Amino acid sequence: MKRRESIFKSKLIWAIIAEILILLVCLLMRPDFFKIEYQPQTHMWYGSLIDIINRSAEITIIAMGMTLVIATGGTDLSVGALVAVAGALALKLLRWDVTVYNTPGDYTVQPFILVLFVPMLVCLAMGMFNGVLIAKFKMQPIIATLVLMVAGRGIAQIATNGKQFTTLYAPFRFIGQGSLLALPMPIIISAVAVLGVSLFTRLTSYGMFIESVGINRNASRVSGIKSDTIILIAYALTGFLSGVAGLIYASRISSCDSNNAGLNYELDAILAVVIGGTNMSGGKFSLAGTVVGSIIIRTITTFVYYFGIVSESIMAFKALIIAVVIVLQSEPVRKWMSSRKNTGADRIGGGVHA
Amino acid sequence: MKKLIALALSLVMVLAVSNAFALTVGFSQIGQESDWRTANTDDILAAVAAEGWDMVYDDAQQKQENQVKALRNFISQGVDYILFTGVVTTGWDEVLKEVNEAEIPLLLLDRIPDCIDDIEYVAAFGGDFVEEGRRMAYWTENYLQSIGRGEEEINIVMLEGTTGSDAATGRTNGILEVLPQYPHLKLVAQQTGNFTRAEGQAVMESFLKSQEKIDVLLAQNDDMALGAVDAIKAAGKVPGKDIIIVGCDSVKAAFDAIVAGDINATIECTPLYSAFVIPMIKELEAGAEINRTVVHPAEQAFDTDGGIVYNEAGDLSIKAADVIAERKY
Repeated sequence: MKRRESIFKSKLIWAIIAEILILLVCLLMRPDFFKIEYQPQTHMWYGSLIDIINRSAEITIIAMGMTLVIATGGTDLSVGALVAVAGALALKLLRWDVTVYNTPGDYTVQPFILVLFVPMLVCLAMGMFNGVLIAKFKMQPIIATLVLMVAGRGIAQIATNGKQFTTLYAPFRFIGQGSLLALPMPIIISAVAVLGVSLFTRLTSYGMFIESVGINRNASRVSGIKSDTIILIAYALTGFLSGVAGLIYASRISSCDSNNAGLNYELDAILAVVIGGTNMSGGKFSLAGTVVGSIIIRTITTFVYYFGIVSESIMAFKALIIAVVIVLQSEPVRKWMSSRKNTGADRIGGGVHA
Repeated sequence: MKKLIALALSLVMVLAVSNAFALTVGFSQIGQESDWRTANTDDILAAVAAEGWDMVYDDAQQKQENQVKALRNFISQGVDYILFTGVVTTGWDEVLKEVNEAEIPLLLLDRIPDCIDDIEYVAAFGGDFVEEGRRMAYWTENYLQSIGRGEEEINIVMLEGTTGSDAATGRTNGILEVLPQYPHLKLVAQQTGNFTRAEGQAVMESFLKSQEKIDVLLAQNDDMALGAVDAIKAAGKVPGKDIIIVGCDSVKAAFDAIVAGDINATIECTPLYSAFVIPMIKELEAGAEINRTVVHPAEQAFDTDGGIVYNEAGDLSIKAADVIAERKY
């Protein structure tokens, strides 16, 4: 009895139920939505479900960092701009020679290792900048990260001189368009990111410290946790992961797009974290929930594309589904549901740590 | 020595005075969001400089408030002409009326504000988006006939631009106007790709799975077409052959893709307005009265081999490979 109660109080379960419901609607409308086949020309599995996981990779990767940031009680609005910065820097390094207008080139001007690491390291540094403003200068996270949210796209524009470079350099295109183990590379990269962050928070005491800082920063500091360092690491990691997502985005389109790359990603990433059951006020977090949240967001988008919802109503349609998901997870609804499942056993328990 | 100084001083004064008499043109541009926009800006700046006129240029970085500020600055500086491209269509009534009150001739470029009926302006320069849409459809039909598929049932998918933008609405209307004239052309799916490569790619990816058979892709700008090319390749199909792709705008990257065989055609939407703007300013200087003129720059279509009729007038498309070298943007 007790176990069942706790399951229905878990936000993760509700997120999974929401995802299953959306997929069920897809199944009823078009059974072939679930068709997955092996594509011999591209050596990849091919199907809408693969697309959903593939295209959710950027948000999943960023949201891993965002989960930790939100668990500390903060938020990071700069991630979308950092995606643009990473793409711009990568294309600048690839196409260093282009001064006037773009022509595709299947070569790289700077060593490929720089193309990969400079964008990631710059984003890491920008994440640290956020972290220093918040941890050391005690700025409000929204204000501190707003700086780079605004400045980031400007930096990306300056790096590329406001131009869109195109590249045909195969190793770079492999990041977003290639495949490993018959799966698209972005899926592999996001799996590595999810695994990496999970292990980092579980195998070290970092996860526990983050929750502690999120629940009470000062109490944590007094009890000997270096709150500032914990916060700094969370923002730096988010910056780094945004850089990785930026490389994937740029590689997918073989180009940089300082205006549109990562546009509104900060909102999607925060939404993924919230749908996944992590509270915006900080404290306990759920990485598994965030992954489900990110997949839900992409499922809705794919649903819209697949079933040809008219473009004017896309926004309203997405908002409607997300509203339903979030209401389903709200405290009163969950309590009501679990009390219905266990008549008379409505005990007050803490949020379940999934 | 004194004489020399006096001479130098008078020279400086003459220069200063002559400078004050030189025409000053204020140009409030949206920002640099694409190669198209960059070419648009560079073209105007170069042409004004070539005339020896002074240019006060303001890059609004995609912000309306910056543009309002720039326009007010132009008024207080007393520029002679204002060139204006608005980042959005609404909210210009007040500041443009101030421009009218200051009696500075206003030339609207590319984007037309929705208060256009309430304000005075000399001319509005811009692409004829509906005609561009029609041309995409005409080119498709004529190309299909030229390869002997004029009778075959053809399934078309369309990638639309940003919902509500002039370019997207106009091009959609143009395409939907012409397609019904040819019953064998069937529009099976349409969806917005927001004029971006990434979304064009993601939407095409879904089209390829939700549609049984796709013969033609009409992308309302080249970026979406370029994004879709990779989605088509990932589906194991050959872009340009298995699926005929028509883009719009004619940016350099699309020319490269046409030459590479990935895209079949692109309908031009030229950013080069100076050829129309400069003569008009000269006419105005000569005392001509011009009011509320709408100017659509001459535009063409470019494709793999050329020679395909792309409009009602019967103009023939141009082979992209022949002109790619002189394309700047």
